Amino acid sequence: MDLAILVMILSAVGYSWLRMLTALMISILFSITVGVAAAVSKSLEKIIIPILDILQSIPVLGFFPIALYAFVTLHPIIGPEIAAIFLIFTSQVWNISFGVYEAVKVIPTETLEVVSFLRLNIFGKIRHLYIPTSFPKIAANLPSSWANGLYFLVACEIITIGEAEYRLFGIGSLTAEFMASGMILESAAALFLVLLFVVLMNLLVFVPMIRVSMKYRFETYATEIPHAWFERLVKPFTLPIKIIALRPRFSESWKLGAGLHSFINLLVKHRRVFQVLIAFGAVAIIASITSLKDLITFTHIVYNGFSRLGILEPLIMLGYSLSRVSIALLITLVWTLPTSIILYENKILEKILLPIFQAISSFPATLLIPFIMDFTMKSGLMKEFGALIIVLLGTMWYMLFSLRGALTVIPREEEELFKLLRISGLKKLWYLYLPRMTPSMITGCIVTIGGGWNTLVIAERALLDHIVWEVENPGIGKTMSIATSLGDIELLIATTIWMALFIVILNRFLWRRIYEIAIRRIV
Amino acid sequence: MTLEKTDETLLMLKNISFSYKMRKGDKLPIFDSLSLSIMFAEFVGIAGPSGCGKSTLLRIMAGLLKPDLGEVYFRGKPLHNPDPRISMVFQNPTLLPWYTVLKNVMLGLINEKGLTDKEKEERARTFLDMMGLIGFENAYPAELSGGMRQRVAIARALVSHPDLLLMDEPFSNLDQLTAITLRRELENLWLNQILPISSIVLVSHDIEELVEICDKVTVLTTRPSKIAGIIKIDLKRPRSRRSQEFYEYVDKIYTLLS
Repeated sequence: MDLAILVMILSAVGYSWLRMLTALMISILFSITVGVAAAVSKSLEKIIIPILDILQSIPVLGFFPIALYAFVTLHPIIGPEIAAIFLIFTSQVWNISFGVYEAVKVIPTETLEVVSFLRLNIFGKIRHLYIPTSFPKIAANLPSSWANGLYFLVACEIITIGEAEYRLFGIGSLTAEFMASGMILESAAALFLVLLFVVLMNLLVFVPMIRVSMKYRFETYATEIPHAWFERLVKPFTLPIKIIALRPRFSESWKLGAGLHSFINLLVKHRRVFQVLIAFGAVAIIASITSLKDLITFTHIVYNGFSRLGILEPLIMLGYSLSRVSIALLITLVWTLPTSIILYENKILEKILLPIFQAISSFPATLLIPFIMDFTMKSGLMKEFGALIIVLLGTMWYMLFSLRGALTVIPREEEELFKLLRISGLKKLWYLYLPRMTPSMITGCIVTIGGGWNTLVIAERALLDHIVWEVENPGIGKTMSIATSLGDIELLIATTIWMALFIVILNRFLWRRIYEIAIRRIV
Repeated sequence: MTLEKTDETLLMLKNISFSYKMRKGDKLPIFDSLSLSIMFAEFVGIAGPSGCGKSTLLRIMAGLLKPDLGEVYFRGKPLHNPDPRISMVFQNPTLLPWYTVLKNVMLGLINEKGLTDKEKEERARTFLDMMGLIGFENAYPAELSGGMRQRVAIARALVSHPDLLLMDEPFSNLDQLTAITLRRELENLWLNQILPISSIVLVSHDIEELVEICDKVTVLTTRPSKIAGIIKIDLKRPRSRRSQEFYEYVDKIYTLLS
């Protein structure tokens, strides 16, 4: 393998990272705006939270072809790039938004009262109160957002809609090219470099940020993230990000913003007027862009899609897909429950295994899809099995980390109490561990299932340079993928809506209920 | 059970040393060759400057922490692990929020093989009654006030009929009025020999509280802690906080502390 290829791989990683960073920045800005708005204003909360809830359940890849259509018509060359960033954004943003919302929502009343004495305007509050308080939540969500973004980045660098194929230079498209032309060594090198960069990103940026953000918490926290053995090695290199995070250089740029400042004051003062103006403006813009004819065409598309699909067929597809996701969840639970307890009880094993798990979990499993395709085709294994692996690789880690997190915050006195009463083994599991893990386990189930739906579009059907690889049985993700390949926008929109509706209903009527019951018993 | 004042030792710490391991391998020595005895039928208070290791000492007595050097003897035998005859009440009540009050107390009997569930429940009810909690058996901890939660914790500590009750600042998270009532009740129960326990060790930073209810107060120095002095409180019970002698004892302890 020569140097030119190495340089190519590195620049591909660079391109992909740039895409990711841009999307992440937008995600953070979006989250602060929307999260703070929802947490501060009761009326906005009623609108924003349900919308976020629905948006986060819509499969990311369902958005994508639709967005691609829209952005490509905007500009043929930059369009796909913007569409890719948009897709990554949609995979990164929701958990950060909810994080900011929760953080601002739980600011202690006393703090709010103190701040109200300072007579800060909304801008000052955002700077001195809302950003610092949501910083820990943002920092804590960055690693998973990044991993999530990477997972879908790979899928959005090459996309085929009907006749047109859009290929963006980046690590996803490059690895696919390597695999398609049988360059195993080069693909392996690419995978290794991605893993390296992912680990470095976590060690040099995210972990130091989380550490700094600990200082911003309201509650004093006894348990910190354990220092991993390799973290000590890179410690000197984490200084820059710590300095940036600890002393955000707001002040200078803030003076420049004085004009903006007074403008915002004006806005806040005449809130009602501006709200009405903005509403009118939005309606006017939408009305001017979308003529009545477009609107009619769009309704036609949706209507046609739905009538072509019928009712029975999507339900069968959803049933198959649901069982795939459920089996993945079951497997996840079966291995993460004991593993999290073992990691918690055995500190030596934790020191060795945890960093390894963290590294693997942040590696985009989608990059492995070509290998999994290759493997199942050569070994003659059911493709269902391959699909299950893809779903698992993308979704199972969250459960492990959230269960372990729940265990590490068990109060020390409870542990001591159980030692005093000499309760151990299965009894301890039943009386202490399981109740303490239950809320996280339920959130974990929601996230795992949600993530599972998202990965289905990739897992149930994949393309590698005109080789089609798909599960034997029906599936909603498979249909969505076929619709994308055929450029069948009617079918795509209909299946996306079916899937989103199904997920929203499942969340509202099943998971939410279970969570509320559990929380009531355990707080 | 008869509780006569004898000179026999219930628990003995012999030349114990203990240090916390810090990051980078540093050690923070807490005790260096400390010896201390708790006699039968004795109410011992432990005072000391903050950070001197009062709570650590209590955890060593409970068998939760092992000293680096030295030995702990309970009823003449070395103590290596928590013993069913030693109970502890924490600063926070530490109730399991997912169980009712009754179930929380019954947790103290979970390892009693000789009792049926019915008997366990009966015994838990007896102690809930003693702590004035009858009628709250089926409440969840979240529905109780701080004082009531601490009563549940005390009931749980007593239900297994221990010989020694260790208390780690049990009243410090309660409001003054609740703390006074609970302290009085505990003192009365102990004086009237209603409690199954023989001895109590109470860690507190409230000197007056210690002088009010303890037979003797052991005062520790700053880290690494040594015994600054042991003061026997020879005052008639119930003790009045306003008497001259009371203040002399309080002063004596403060002098040892500073």
